[in-house]
Amino acid sequence: MLSMSTSLLENTKLAWQFYRQEYHLPQQKLLRWTQAILLIFMLALTQSSFSVQQYLTQNLQGLLGADAQISQRQPFTSQQFNDLSAQVEQLVATQQIKINFSHQDSWQYISLKAVADNYPLQGELLTATSLAGNTEQSLSGPKQGEIWFDSRLFASFNLKIGDTVEISKQEFTFTKLLKHEPDRLMEGHNVAMRAMINIGDMEKLNFSENLINYRYLLALDARQIPSLQEWQQQHLPAAQLVHKQGNHPLALFWQRTENFIGLASIILFFMAAIAIEQIALKHQNKEQYFSAVCMSLGASKSTGIVVSIVKWCFSLLLLLPVALLAAAACHWLMIHYLTDSFPNLQWQWHYALSLKTLVFISSIFALFYLPVWYSLLNSSVGKLFNQAKNTASNLGQKLVTVAVLVIVVLAYSDNALLTMMLVTAMMVTILLILLLSWLVLTLGEKLTKNLSGLLPFVFFMMKQRLVSKSTQILGVGLSAFLLLFTLMLMHDLGKTMSSYQRQHDGNLMVSKATNDQLSYLKNWASENNISIRQNKSYMHAKLIEINKQSLAEFNDKPSESLATFSREIRMHWNNQLPSNNRLLSGTWWQVDSENWQQISVEQEVLTDMGLSLSDELTFVIAGRRYDFTITASHEFKPGNGSITFWVQMPTAALAHIQANHYSMASLEVSEQQQPLLAELWQKFPTLRMVSLQQMTERFDNILAMITKVISGFSAIIILLAGIVILASINAVEANEQKKNSIIMSFGFNRATCLKLNIIEWLITAMIAAGGAIVGTYLAGVLIYQSQFSLPYQPDFIWLVSTLFIILACVISLGVYASRKSLNSSIRQLMAE
Amino acid sequence: MSSTTHPGNIQASYIQLSNISQSFALNNTKVTLFEQLNLTIKQGQSYAIMGPSGAGKSSLLMLMSGLEQPSSGRGVYVKGDLKNKHESSLETLRPDIGFIFQQFHLLPELTALNNVALPLKLRGDKKAINKAKVMLEKVGLQDRINHNPNELSGGEQQRVAIARALVFEPRFIFADEPTGNLDEKSAREIANILLNCCKDSNAALIMVTHSQVLANKAEHVYHLSHNGLIKVKGNNCDVLPVELAC
Repeated sequence: MLSMSTSLLENTKLAWQFYRQEYHLPQQKLLRWTQAILLIFMLALTQSSFSVQQYLTQNLQGLLGADAQISQRQPFTSQQFNDLSAQVEQLVATQQIKINFSHQDSWQYISLKAVADNYPLQGELLTATSLAGNTEQSLSGPKQGEIWFDSRLFASFNLKIGDTVEISKQEFTFTKLLKHEPDRLMEGHNVAMRAMINIGDMEKLNFSENLINYRYLLALDARQIPSLQEWQQQHLPAAQLVHKQGNHPLALFWQRTENFIGLASIILFFMAAIAIEQIALKHQNKEQYFSAVCMSLGASKSTGIVVSIVKWCFSLLLLLPVALLAAAACHWLMIHYLTDSFPNLQWQWHYALSLKTLVFISSIFALFYLPVWYSLLNSSVGKLFNQAKNTASNLGQKLVTVAVLVIVVLAYSDNALLTMMLVTAMMVTILLILLLSWLVLTLGEKLTKNLSGLLPFVFFMMKQRLVSKSTQILGVGLSAFLLLFTLMLMHDLGKTMSSYQRQHDGNLMVSKATNDQLSYLKNWASENNISIRQNKSYMHAKLIEINKQSLAEFNDKPSESLATFSREIRMHWNNQLPSNNRLLSGTWWQVDSENWQQISVEQEVLTDMGLSLSDELTFVIAGRRYDFTITASHEFKPGNGSITFWVQMPTAALAHIQANHYSMASLEVSEQQQPLLAELWQKFPTLRMVSLQQMTERFDNILAMITKVISGFSAIIILLAGIVILASINAVEANEQKKNSIIMSFGFNRATCLKLNIIEWLITAMIAAGGAIVGTYLAGVLIYQSQFSLPYQPDFIWLVSTLFIILACVISLGVYASRKSLNSSIRQLMAE
Repeated sequence: MSSTTHPGNIQASYIQLSNISQSFALNNTKVTLFEQLNLTIKQGQSYAIMGPSGAGKSSLLMLMSGLEQPSSGRGVYVKGDLKNKHESSLETLRPDIGFIFQQFHLLPELTALNNVALPLKLRGDKKAINKAKVMLEKVGLQDRINHNPNELSGGEQQRVAIARALVFEPRFIFADEPTGNLDEKSAREIANILLNCCKDSNAALIMVTHSQVLANKAEHVYHLSHNGLIKVKGNNCDVLPVELAC
């Protein structure tokens, strides 16, 4: 026992000595950079995510304005109202509707909230009488005939306290400025301007019931929640119940954001894996040599392994202070940035979480480094005499590393389809680059065999070094692919989407119109010579069960689809496959089919939710349950308008379902015709329309956010790509140096070696570029259409010129970084 | 084997070093390796340079091959015969030289055949592979052409290195301890092959060696020490320490 600890101490001392000796070696520097980048990125990301999660939990406690809330599309029946009142201590009714509010010549899409006289239930309702005035607490909401506006609405309409405004021919007096509602939590995403009236006035406005969202605030004992849940499941299965002990409504949104960033970080892990794999090549030979020397001096095999592991631990441990400090700074910046979406979010360091993250990342790093330690197991004194490398086992180790990474990726991401697409694109790129390398080098060698000059020689040498060259090309190619795809996404997201919207859908989108509204709209359009591009009908439906299991039971992983299904969706009906859809599996129903209880579901939703054909879905439509069987799956086909639906049923179903019908439509309204819209909204304040200006405004905001995120992400990728290239050069530097010296011993000079080097990098870059461009195209085709429901129209000039810039940088960096290997001499060969 | 050299009638090219000195600075101290050396290396003949470690043998080799510049003195490369001489600096010698090293320095990922074909490929020779095969036959490795260096013994690797150095027909071969890494038997074989092949190719062979056996096989033997370059075998071996062209 004593001797064991003594030997460990000795080995640790030895490891420390070697660590210090090797500290300034290029491969150690590259390893430190790679590990530091990932550590900082992951630490900052997990800390910020956790802060947001914690914020959401606390926020739920403080901003629900009630112990629980129930919301749904219909008002409670008096029976339901009485039942619920009997169960809870207090109940406050609120209603919410989105309308186009017009005043004088201006109009604005706003959220109008009506509250009962006993509002608010919990928390503070804050108001003011002027923008700069003192905020005071109001003990009740507006009285009948009064209206309160929020600051933005107040400012944009130039209103004054005491002004009279009109909504649906009803007059209201503006009496207070609305500063804070204690029950805003459920509207967390809603950025529309706000107004508040009394619930008694809502009835007078005479809006259609099904356009109103009914929300009931409940005060109750926490122990009553289970029985309330049971009652809701039984009587109001389509309603949404939120309580203080549950999840924040934004939690799902944030989790999805986190998962997307998680996917992005997986890309970084792939890059790091490539970089470390390249660096490890050099480490492996060095460590094997050291281990063999130790063994030749009588040490056991474990000595080499222990020294190597301890040395690796030193390098990681000594990196931690810098990484933690940098991560704390990045975390602060991220929190600062996120306060726009999450007000009052505070910077805080979570120690246990950082430890957990460190253990996780260290394990991943150890996994990447495992081949080096594994090779030490096979180390022997004989290796000192024979430097033969076992490339087959190296390849096996690489494949195992890739397999483990893919498993981690799949386990980590919630959007299985998106992840699979990205991984597929990466795998295809890898295979393509390998194939291209072999093909180009083999053909290049054969075709240039009878030519003179340096090119045939370069092809010959690269072909002879196919394995090591392929790894280098693969590293560069994958980096170029990931970089190009990220840049392309940033560039195209805005351009493709907005141009496509303009091209096919007009500049005004009606997202919800009742039948009356639609017929008025059609007349109005024809009178004013406005063309309606598309018009499709739908009804609201809430998915509650899949194969008789509740949504939560069936699928507990957050996904885009599940998040959408937790609210009502639009159910479309037709007899024929829409022209902008493509049938992917199953069969579309016949016009005369008597079976009306069949549906087609969008393919991505099927994959995301883990559904398959013949699964049974139960929807609540207008308060009644309907069962449907999935008989087909479809996907969006670009070119014939962008209005498409996730779930579609036969027209025959209409005879069996009593529910309100709505329409979606798109119109082309010229700039001169814009003033006509005010008249339309005076007539129908609830007609939901989004103008192109609003769409682009929203889109620009989203794009600005995406641009920031992607720019930061690109910067990290560029940094890692640089490291991959440097690592791949560093890995073969000694060989290259020797090769150059040998070439000089044949009577050639340094200029020849430089030319050879440039040609070699050109070929490397060209093969890598071929793989990167096909990989990017494939990823674009797969991901753009599926994830954004948009046709992928790559700008090849942009793509090729961006690629050209990337490759010019790669070649320059490659040649620059190879200068050391050019600095070789015959004397070095003599000295060996 | 045929020879194109005709003693007494200089038709071949030669290297001439006149009053060559080499020194370098180490910790602000000038270290002189050798001073005022004169030496002529003629194509088709063999030379061995012996001497203690640190005497500057390798440096002399580098100067002779034009890869390094002397601190003082002059080196020229003379091409052609006595009637039609063309004199140029030693830097122009580069296309006409080949090297053989103690550590062989074959490229490990290439087969013996591809290693030998390498210099020809670089020169764009379309018959590189065939010529490499012929050369490997000459050094007795016709059965090992598709073997990688790590599958060959030390002696065999050096044979490949010799074939590689001679395949592009350089006029001067510089060999640094060519048998230093080999056992006695292999060293003897390599020495014979090396000398015969150089003779056969009409190339000058300049060897730096500690092996007396190898040195004895050379036509001219020099001893380099702090006392200068002393000729111990060959024509005019009484001329000390200066050797002029014969």
